[in-house]
Amino acid sequence: MSDIDIKRISYLAKLKLPSEKEEFYSNSLKDIIKWVDNLKKVDTSKTEPLHNVTEKTVSIRNDEVSKSNSVDDVLSNAPERAQNFFKVPKVVE
Amino acid sequence: MKNSISQIKKALIEKKISVGELYDEYLAKAKSGNNNSFNLVIDRENNISSINDSQNRYNNGNPLPLDGIPLGIKDLFCTKGIRTTASSKILSNFIPNYESFVTQQLLNDGSIFIGKNNCDEFAMGSSNETSYFGPVINPWKNKNSQNDNLVPGGSSGGSAAAVAEGSCVASMGTDTGGSIRQPASLCGIVGLKPTFGSCSRWGIVAFASSLDQAGPLTNCVEDAAYVLNSINKHDFNDSTSSNHQREDYLVDINNNFEKKIKIGIPSDYLEDVSDDILNQIDNTKKALSKHGIEFVDVKFKTTEYALSTYYILAPAEASSNLARYDGIRYGVREDGESLDDIYLNSRTKGFGDEVTRRILIGAYVLSAGYYDAYYRQAQKVRRLIKNDFQRILNEVDFILTPTTPNEAFKIGDKLDPISMYKNDIYTVPTSLAGLPGISIPSGLSKNGLPLGVQFIGNYFEEKSLLQLAALAEKELSFNE
Repeated sequence: MSDIDIKRISYLAKLKLPSEKEEFYSNSLKDIIKWVDNLKKVDTSKTEPLHNVTEKTVSIRNDEVSKSNSVDDVLSNAPERAQNFFKVPKVVE
Repeated sequence: MKNSISQIKKALIEKKISVGELYDEYLAKAKSGNNNSFNLVIDRENNISSINDSQNRYNNGNPLPLDGIPLGIKDLFCTKGIRTTASSKILSNFIPNYESFVTQQLLNDGSIFIGKNNCDEFAMGSSNETSYFGPVINPWKNKNSQNDNLVPGGSSGGSAAAVAEGSCVASMGTDTGGSIRQPASLCGIVGLKPTFGSCSRWGIVAFASSLDQAGPLTNCVEDAAYVLNSINKHDFNDSTSSNHQREDYLVDINNNFEKKIKIGIPSDYLEDVSDDILNQIDNTKKALSKHGIEFVDVKFKTTEYALSTYYILAPAEASSNLARYDGIRYGVREDGESLDDIYLNSRTKGFGDEVTRRILIGAYVLSAGYYDAYYRQAQKVRRLIKNDFQRILNEVDFILTPTTPNEAFKIGDKLDPISMYKNDIYTVPTSLAGLPGISIPSGLSKNGLPLGVQFIGNYFEEKSLLQLAALAEKELSFNE
């Protein structure tokens, strides 16, 4: 197992770990990854990955228009809104 | 003994109690809040029309299947107009404008919601200690250390404690790796995880989508059948919802089996377990043998890989599912100068330690260079685990295991994550295989705490599973 680059992982997860907690999470991750490492010894060369455990055919519904979620519904929980939009800081300079 | 749904319905039909009086009785207990089992309690005035409608149906002699029954709902189900937090800071202000499929079925059948049950944050935990709203206290006490507060198990810990303390008749929980069965066992009640794909996930705050399944926590097996009848339906809004024909789970529940039943006990599950746990299996075996049920030893080949597989797949799915919490569209937003700062600050301050840890594990096992070695390999091993169960279930009708490796432990006792994760050793394999499992109370430990056993059945065969559990329950029931 290679070393865990906690800065890179937290960047991927869009988290900004406080520096005093980096070691805590880094050690914790190392322990867990070491613990799950036993899967590497399982021979799966002839095994397909399992995505949906019941593997039933997905049922397809008729393509009918239905009404749900008004604009106000969708925006009702927005931390900040402006007219019919979610409001965020300026993105383009 | 607490009253069952059928006993309560009888009292309502015979006018021995009104729907309003029944509601008030449970509400008063829920409001006392001694065990912190509710994140939110719904006042009478907010339920008054449901109470009146329900009473009218009783008065007119046509009550619905769950009419007037006060239920708790894990705070992971979206409830229209009622705050739904997943016990997380990041959702602490979230008010859904739609109802989850499962809770809608319960409302359609006349039940009345007492409130939203506390749970582990985003259902990630086995002790209910990761909740933003604080730990839930198990109503049971260790007779040798009466002053200690014990965990109720998790993640549906508030649901289990609420049913056990009598502040709701039954509660809806969710189970990803044991989150219904393990707390049910530690609180001395019944917990059913149906087959994956039975009950729609639509409107349940997602944790690990290939594992999450809704199910009831109840005082008795018959009550679990009542709730399952209501919630087990096909739903087009969940692409993994199965569209097979459902049965009536109450019919035949108290009948004996017509054919000879064989139950497998995996001996590898029982290595290194305490006498307390072994006794549960022995007692169950003795009780059911009297009814002509045969027990055989079965051997799994994949048990040692189940927890590893789970702790790769569940965090991977969680890290992906929880990417939606960004402080923009709903949930708590933390200030930031740029859009990116808002994302980073909202997520970092909004998630607790355990959720952060699992997001990080997930991001790691899905990242470039590790995806095949961890995530894909775990998905392959998951197939081997499923095949292993199918092989055993070709030999036997059901599998009997302990539900948990130990009794309820002290709040704050288990600090390192891996020892906490090991709590789910008997429930995780069933979840990975997608099979239905039910935990029923089987006896008390030396410390006077409840313990449970788990029965596992074949895919979508909840009917016979409940029949077996009801039979075992009659033999094993104990009084508090």
